[in-house]
Amino acid sequence: MDIFGMSSLMLPGMLSSMSGADGIFCLLLGMAAGALLLCLVGANLKHIRKDYYSYMKETAGQFFGDIFMVFYFLYFVSLCGYVLYQLTTLSLTWLLPDGSRVGISLILLLLAMYGSARGIEGRARVYEIIFWFLGIPLAIMLLFAMSDVNTAYYTPLVSSDVTALVEGSVAALVFLLPLTTLLFLKPFCRKPEKMVSCGNVAMVTVVLLNIVIYLVLLGVFGKNTMGVLERPVITLMGMVNLPGGFFTRQDVLMTAVWFFALFALLNTGMFQGTLVLQQLCQMPGNRFSLWVVAVIAFAIGKGFFDHSFLMEVFETYQVWVALPGMFLILLVLLLAHWLRADKKGRKGGNV
Amino acid sequence: MSIQITSDLQENIRNFEELFSDCQDIKKRKIKVGEHLQQECYIAYIEVTLSSVDFKDSAVGKLLGKLRALPEQELTAYVKNNIEDISDSQPFPTIEKAAEGMLTGDVLFFLDGYNKALKIPDKGYPGRGVYETESEKVIRGSNEGFSESIKLNTALIRKRLRSPHVKVKETFAGRRTNTNVDLVYLKDLIYPGMLEEIEKRLGEFEIDGTLDSGIIEQLTERRKYSPFPQFQTTQRPDRAAMAILEGRIVLLSDNSPVALILPATYNTFIQTSDDYYSRWEIASFTRALRYLASFLAMVFPGLYLAITNFHTQILPTDLLLSLAAARQGVPFPAMVEVILMEIAFELLREAGVRLPGANGNTIGIVGGLIIGQAAVDANIVSPIVVIVVALTALCSFAVPNEEFATAFRILKFLFIFLCGSLGFFGFLAGILAVLIHLSHLESFGIPYLAPFVGADLNGYQDERDTFLRLPLNYLKKRPVYTREGARTRLRLHKENEKK
Repeated sequence: MDIFGMSSLMLPGMLSSMSGADGIFCLLLGMAAGALLLCLVGANLKHIRKDYYSYMKETAGQFFGDIFMVFYFLYFVSLCGYVLYQLTTLSLTWLLPDGSRVGISLILLLLAMYGSARGIEGRARVYEIIFWFLGIPLAIMLLFAMSDVNTAYYTPLVSSDVTALVEGSVAALVFLLPLTTLLFLKPFCRKPEKMVSCGNVAMVTVVLLNIVIYLVLLGVFGKNTMGVLERPVITLMGMVNLPGGFFTRQDVLMTAVWFFALFALLNTGMFQGTLVLQQLCQMPGNRFSLWVVAVIAFAIGKGFFDHSFLMEVFETYQVWVALPGMFLILLVLLLAHWLRADKKGRKGGNV
Repeated sequence: MSIQITSDLQENIRNFEELFSDCQDIKKRKIKVGEHLQQECYIAYIEVTLSSVDFKDSAVGKLLGKLRALPEQELTAYVKNNIEDISDSQPFPTIEKAAEGMLTGDVLFFLDGYNKALKIPDKGYPGRGVYETESEKVIRGSNEGFSESIKLNTALIRKRLRSPHVKVKETFAGRRTNTNVDLVYLKDLIYPGMLEEIEKRLGEFEIDGTLDSGIIEQLTERRKYSPFPQFQTTQRPDRAAMAILEGRIVLLSDNSPVALILPATYNTFIQTSDDYYSRWEIASFTRALRYLASFLAMVFPGLYLAITNFHTQILPTDLLLSLAAARQGVPFPAMVEVILMEIAFELLREAGVRLPGANGNTIGIVGGLIIGQAAVDANIVSPIVVIVVALTALCSFAVPNEEFATAFRILKFLFIFLCGSLGFFGFLAGILAVLIHLSHLESFGIPYLAPFVGADLNGYQDERDTFLRLPLNYLKKRPVYTREGARTRLRLHKENEKK
């Protein structure tokens, strides 16, 4: 749910302007890279005994452990701010056009704080419930939207250049980066051995859903129209006519799907940011770190509204810092772990 | 310090009467016993607890009759050796304990030369007996309801669960009321630690009096600021018995016809007894209806406000025009209109509850029909708001548990405020807040939203008895709050399984 909301909302518009019908291949390539990321996550998860921070300190030393934690903190807190911005924009566009930007952001932030303060268990339970309530209407809407699909829009296929494909795939992969939260969740898991397989299932489900949504959107709007629509999937929801339907427009009702999904990601960012800060600064409770994360997220979210260049900075950060950083950290940790194991083995041999 | 009962009857009488001085309702009698009426005994009881009509046939009457037939020197030995023969009698070594015994509604018996006081049961305190329940009405099933007598209530459960595994653990609550509290459970089914947990919580407070199970409920629940109850309540012995069969614990409190059931979940509050007595199609339909009702009881007026004030594009034009026409001439904003009507409805409801039966019905008719119609005619409220408020009220009445329904009634006002001022955004924010709260809420370690969350813990079996109640032969497992390894509820023979 965390990764579905943002990706289905933003990716179709981005991919159609980058690579048109070939956006499908970008999604698939992104999934392949996501699988590689999950492989690295899984390989590291095997060696985590207590928690991820302790593992990083044991493997790469205190200094690098702290550096990596700062990296993760920045990632989660910036994600939190970005999602807050997107969620506020979504609310202002579809739900409350005359609403106060700051007011809506604060309400959302307070709700996310309430959810995070309640711990991970409560969060998981909320999404377990919401998933079923939202999945069914979404599937129905997509099914009815299929009648408006014009397959001519699916051509030309394989017409994009390699750069466009790579850019699209990187974009798709960036939206899968929150999967790395799995690294921090081991202490909360009843069956940690199933974490990676669950992550894979979640990723494949989300990518498949995104492919279906992308195909429907492309078939209904065509490449050019979809490229200019900011959130084409919600626009589509407003156009679908349910046979014998009582409601004339469903976009407001269906916004709930993305409202809850984005909130899930906001909550994830806040929870993980709080957890990282708490571990990094060795705070006993989560109250203070929660407030710190909330204030920074609010400032970032407000920054996106007030200074449009920050959006470009964020995109650059995601593509050139966060994405390679995630891979690099996991590779370094694995390498360091193997080296340490090898060294230990040799020492063992001498004795 | 406790005063020991001695063999000297006069000393015992002095001590006892000192303790109960100025208690005119306590009857104290000295009676001569023995074949020559040479020895004295003393009985004490609360005025109405001893049967005067059938005194000879009562346990005390028969004991006194027997003692009058025996030689004086054998009396003490007879009483000492035949205590067990007197039904439910109990010896007490101290005056205080004996007094407590008498205050449970039994007769206290002292004999000269015997250093204990005997508690002998008789008619006991006056009670209502077994009557039909006022709430939790069912279409099919028993109509017996709990009464104020704890003994009667435990017997009503025993009557339904005739198993030696049904245990009744007695404890007392209230320093001054000394109220009996019974924990009834099936020993082999309750989840490990559940009984210890409720016993621990019962021991966590000291209060002057517990006059109803509601006081125990409030003092033992963990999330005190949640509007949602963490104990299920019932006045139906069959519901209590059913809960015990699911491995839950029933807490009975003397003087209260309301039993507490623990643990409780959202799902258990929606279930009724006749869900299991009726065919599965009917049960499933009404169950789904109740779930919908619980949701609408909370959000319906709010949704009305959100759609009519903020998102009119959702509605067909014809409907929108008729809504606008209905509101013409109404001087208040829609939110004020809804709040006024909701408060009026809550007032009617409260007045109806407090007034005696027939008058209560009158209030419903006067309030609902006459005042409602007059308010519409006077253009104070629009007819659509009356319909919205009435439908919301119907939804809240469809929730089978009063305390649970009240939680939705309270939250309804929050949603009116949120949706009235923030539209659908307020609605979604409110739903999120309620969901986060509910997802964190637990009742004795069981998630409130089980089995919608953590369904895998019991192999997805509990989901068969949620929105829909599947045919009974599919409900083979007990819910997740039963002890692991004891969750098989139904075993079908092979030939039946094939059918």
